[in-house]
Amino acid sequence: MGRLVLRRLGATVPVLLLVTAGVFALLHLTPGDPIDVMMAESVDAEVKENLRRELGLDRPLYVQYAAWMGRLLRGDLGRSIRNGEPVVESVSRRLRPSLELALLAMTVSLVIAFPVGIVCAVRRNTPIDRAGATFAVFGICMPNFLLALLLIFFFGVTLRWLPISGYTDPLEEGWNGLRSLVLPAVTLGLALAAVVTRTLRSSVLEALAEDYVRTARAKGLSEWRVIQAHVLKNALIPVVTVLGLQLGTLIGGAVITEYVFALPGVGRLVVDAVFARDYPLVQGVVLLIAVGFILSNLIVDVLYGWIDPRIRSR
Amino acid sequence: MLRRAARARLAPFGAGVVLLAVLVALTAPLLAPYDPLAQNLGNTLARPGRAHLLGTDNVGRDVLSRVIWGTRVSLVAGLVAVAIAVVAGSLLGVVAGYCGGRVDGLVMRLMDAVLSFPPLVLALALGAVLGAGLTGVLVALGVVYTPTFARLMRGQVLTINARDYVEAARALGAPGWRVAWRHVVPNAANPIIVQASLSVAFAILAEASLSFLGLGIQPPQASWGSMINAGRGYLQQAPWIVFGPGAALFVTVVGLNFVGDAVRDALDPRTRA
Repeated sequence: MGRLVLRRLGATVPVLLLVTAGVFALLHLTPGDPIDVMMAESVDAEVKENLRRELGLDRPLYVQYAAWMGRLLRGDLGRSIRNGEPVVESVSRRLRPSLELALLAMTVSLVIAFPVGIVCAVRRNTPIDRAGATFAVFGICMPNFLLALLLIFFFGVTLRWLPISGYTDPLEEGWNGLRSLVLPAVTLGLALAAVVTRTLRSSVLEALAEDYVRTARAKGLSEWRVIQAHVLKNALIPVVTVLGLQLGTLIGGAVITEYVFALPGVGRLVVDAVFARDYPLVQGVVLLIAVGFILSNLIVDVLYGWIDPRIRSR
Repeated sequence: MLRRAARARLAPFGAGVVLLAVLVALTAPLLAPYDPLAQNLGNTLARPGRAHLLGTDNVGRDVLSRVIWGTRVSLVAGLVAVAIAVVAGSLLGVVAGYCGGRVDGLVMRLMDAVLSFPPLVLALALGAVLGAGLTGVLVALGVVYTPTFARLMRGQVLTINARDYVEAARALGAPGWRVAWRHVVPNAANPIIVQASLSVAFAILAEASLSFLGLGIQPPQASWGSMINAGRGYLQQAPWIVFGPGAALFVTVVGLNFVGDAVRDALDPRTRA
């Protein structure tokens, strides 16, 4: 197991280096002078020159990269050019709402996907199965900003059951906090639920056809016990893979969900930074998101090896 | 192949939707009842009715006409972004698979690096530096989807390179580029076509998401994503501003997904059983 972790970590290092180079290059891809793009035309030339010096844009590219990497290794991701706040502080302040949203969305998706996926497989080719398939298509094809607006329209505007925007921390104001995250979590969780339902249905079907299931049934175990003890454990492996593969979609979805519901999370920070043309902030946040994404994938890989002993030995 | 695709249960519906979307996009100037940009401040937020089938928006523009013109943007975005990715990805995949060694390592690590970013976040960051507008979004989405095709093509090249007919072509003295162009690429095309057909729907969704966030085509031009964003402030008084383009986007994506599934069933030998 330790070797698997080390091997995966080793493979991650060159990718991380390329990712940092890519994020560094981001500022230099701007057509024209990045300082002109970041600041209005009316801004004083001296102020522009100061910013150019501060960002090191007056130096050769390789010097800029070396200095940027040096700061990065010391944990300095730069500062916002709008409010001067260090990027790390901006992100850490907004991490909690994002993590709470991701956790709740994951919970929503698993609570929906597990019963639906298992029932669809057990009742294969019945109307229940077809309803499950329709749900999966709906979830996969529905853009999450549209789903968010539909939920706002029905549960916020028409029925007035839930708040339509804003954030209250559930760790501070339990019930009100949860209420403020219900619609965002359902928005984000439904698409994931659709994908997991589809995967779980086919992996349960596959496991149901195995010899050990026939043996378990022949022993006289109830169908529920067969599924719980023999089918589900083996059907979980593809689900973990899919959850790992969907992480990127989940993060992208979180950006849009936080934007629609005005949640002060990291996703909202990216959008705000993009529209404020605050490139140092964009660079810092995108880099942190990418590193978080790489590390999450690493965890999923290791988890995969833990669930399936065959992977470890490869 | 087409017969296999048509036999799939949902393929005819999907094909019908896609055909309709293409026809609407091509004939938008003839089909749209009003000028999509013409404002009528005396008739704002009008309910759907005989004069305006999908109602009007906050500045009195006909929602149906804007949905019709928005079809063009969505289809062009989906097709062009995927085309960029197919061309760039296939070229990189062929180079990596054919050259092997350090070139292969470098190209594939580059692709891994691109895949290390959540797709929408990367598209957002690239769209931001390339500037708001359709071109920036198309290039950004093209970059985001390139690694998928590069990996696929590289895998195909490695498999096909080991086949006897490629060996035979080499033994006959055909130069490397000719072997690649005449023997390897055509035989690697099927999985690329399958992936491309499945990717168009997601590219359309991604373009709509970026337009919704304010990148992509800029107002007053019509695109489904930006129309939905503009309408969200009027959800209580005029939900049709959101639901018109929303329904068009959803149905098109469903249709494209069904077509993509049917193409995969027809071309992918693993799903033929």
